[in-house]
Amino acid sequence: MSDTIKTTKTALIVHADMSVLSAFQSSFVGKGYVAILARDPPTALLALTQHFFDVAVISSRLAEGGDGWPLAGVVHLIFPKAFVGVLTPETNVLTLQAAINNGVTQIFDASSNPDHVVNTSLGSQQIGSINPSAEPGTSIH
Amino acid sequence: MAHQPSLLIVDDETNVALTLQMVFEREGYAVRTANSCAGALKLLENGHIFDAVITDLNMEKENIGLEVARAALRLHPKPAVVLCTGYASVDNSAAALQMKVDYLATKPVDLEELKRAVSRLMAFRNEKQ
Repeated sequence: MSDTIKTTKTALIVHADMSVLSAFQSSFVGKGYVAILARDPPTALLALTQHFFDVAVISSRLAEGGDGWPLAGVVHLIFPKAFVGVLTPETNVLTLQAAINNGVTQIFDASSNPDHVVNTSLGSQQIGSINPSAEPGTSIH
Repeated sequence: MAHQPSLLIVDDETNVALTLQMVFEREGYAVRTANSCAGALKLLENGHIFDAVITDLNMEKENIGLEVARAALRLHPKPAVVLCTGYASVDNSAAALQMKVDYLATKPVDLEELKRAVSRLMAFRNEKQ
């Protein structure tokens, strides 16, 4: 009897702006990922209890400034091998310190092209291991 | 008998290194100190196993603490690596993020926060390995 192996990769995208979520969703789904979307920290936490994430892209500002950082930290603690990217309006010592101390893999400018962010995150995720027959999709929480 | 966690503290200011040594020994850690990057590298490359490394950033040279961090992060098992600095910049912080340093503490260091961070990082590291 063969073991069940998780072959479809899953990305968590957390952003307050629906249009940004939509752009990231298209980009991840286009790369064969299942995209799980959340607009606020409670919804993201719920999603963390229900999925196994390989990648997370989180805005540093959700309901209020800076609340994306601890959420990124939680994702890192639960999924230590996941790529955790944070979108931040500026890069300074404080944002870099928040990134390091929360186990973030990489920070991106908030205005970065979603395709660039997705390609960078997938670069660290061994794209070749995705099962091409798996159905990519999206779930909005 | 429970394993006593081991810690390497690297700081060219002897008083800082001794203070941190005293603080962490009280917490039950076995602490070694080095007062330079060269001294730390010697300990790291001579097969000493550390559960965590806390290093200053600017010692013999600016940002040379990144060399200590780099050497520590190459070890197996990998210790938790904490950078302590009063001179964090975008450049050295970005380098630390890229190297996957575990924690960046700014001087003056909040000792309670540092103790909590080291303890949490070591628990996380033990869980992963």
